[in-house]
Amino acid sequence: MSLVNFTSFDFDQLFAMGDDTNPLMMLVWILPIFFFVFYGQRIQLYVTSGEIKKGISKLDGFRNESRDELINYVKNNLKPVDDPVQKIDRFIDYFTIMPVDMDPNGIVDKVRHIVRSREDYTREHVRSISPQMSDIELTKVQTLLEIASSLQMIYKIINHMYLTAKKQNNYPLILPLQMILPFIMEQSEAMKEAIPVFKKGQPVGDGIGPMVVGKMMLKNQKETVAFQTVLVKSEFEGRKLFLLKAEGPGSTVGRPADGLEKIVSENKIDAIIMVDAALKMEGEDSAAVARGFGAAIGGIGTEKFEIEAIATSKNIPIFSIVVKQSVKEAITLMTKEIADKADDVRTQVYEMIQENTTQGQSIAIIGVGNTAGVPQ
Amino acid sequence: MFSKKKITLEYTVEKCSKCGMQRKRKFSQGDVLFAECSKCDSCDGMSFIEKVFGETLEQ
Repeated sequence: MSLVNFTSFDFDQLFAMGDDTNPLMMLVWILPIFFFVFYGQRIQLYVTSGEIKKGISKLDGFRNESRDELINYVKNNLKPVDDPVQKIDRFIDYFTIMPVDMDPNGIVDKVRHIVRSREDYTREHVRSISPQMSDIELTKVQTLLEIASSLQMIYKIINHMYLTAKKQNNYPLILPLQMILPFIMEQSEAMKEAIPVFKKGQPVGDGIGPMVVGKMMLKNQKETVAFQTVLVKSEFEGRKLFLLKAEGPGSTVGRPADGLEKIVSENKIDAIIMVDAALKMEGEDSAAVARGFGAAIGGIGTEKFEIEAIATSKNIPIFSIVVKQSVKEAITLMTKEIADKADDVRTQVYEMIQENTTQGQSIAIIGVGNTAGVPQ
Repeated sequence: MFSKKKITLEYTVEKCSKCGMQRKRKFSQGDVLFAECSKCDSCDGMSFIEKVFGETLEQ
């Protein structure tokens, strides 16, 4: 009987497994297999945890930075009546509970009511920090507050998911977190970079719609048609134009649906053209212009719902022109590429009017987006 | 580790409403689009702000 020889190492056998293979060489393969079967998930958990922890500490930095920026802005620019820190901290922690959707009938009205109540309440309380604050400053502070509040909420949710997974050593629970973290980080970084832009009242990428329509409004009589929303009536080649945008140069998106409702209640509208920024897909060129059908408007969906409802009830076609951009480009300082497209988009709006309407008809043109730094 | 630092330079473009001459300058606080800002350098028309934008450079 021949004994197994444990001393004759042949590294050529490392990748082979025959009758004469050294058992130690076999162990080189077998042991790690057992090790990874029992501890693989835990090792993966430690590796992934490290990455997520880095992301969370970045998010923590973002939320602190946004809070400090907001407090400094209020203290240095707005002459607050007393120390605003406590009040701002309270606002940042405000939450919104969306209405129950088990019976979806009438849910849009409920959502709109809750969101508008929140906006109105916040506006009045922000004003109480410094009663002399102008309306433009008020919109800036409200936007900065929204950013700080969103970053705070993102940090809390991600941290909660991470700590729960870690506490229970639950790798499957950490997987979705690992998958969504790059998207969350991209959005959070964009929000952090948006802070100085809104503080300076500069136009953001999302302001391309108001920029296009705002220029069409110049030298015309403006009227307030809805809250923070202005209307201009003008003419183009025998057609009546109703130009609508949020009232700049404050940081607001206005209430275009309310404005449109008022226009439609008093006039016969034959077409609606919406100009907005749209999120580009990966691989698409930034600042590319695209045309389409349907209401081009983002947000939580209440404005879109209202515009669609008005158009449907009156049988008005909706045409859209969008300028593609990334999440970051949409909320940070407008890039040169996007700004350079304004004239081209304006030309396309006029082309769209010529192609789709006839003389004597009326068209509502809505510039959708944040109107920071974009007056009319 | 090897990523370059990015900085955004802020610019304002003024355009003369009469001769159409454009002038690019650094953004200054208070600049908003379409606002009248200065007399045109080449004619007696008024310049207004045509664009405000950022250009990102890698350092």
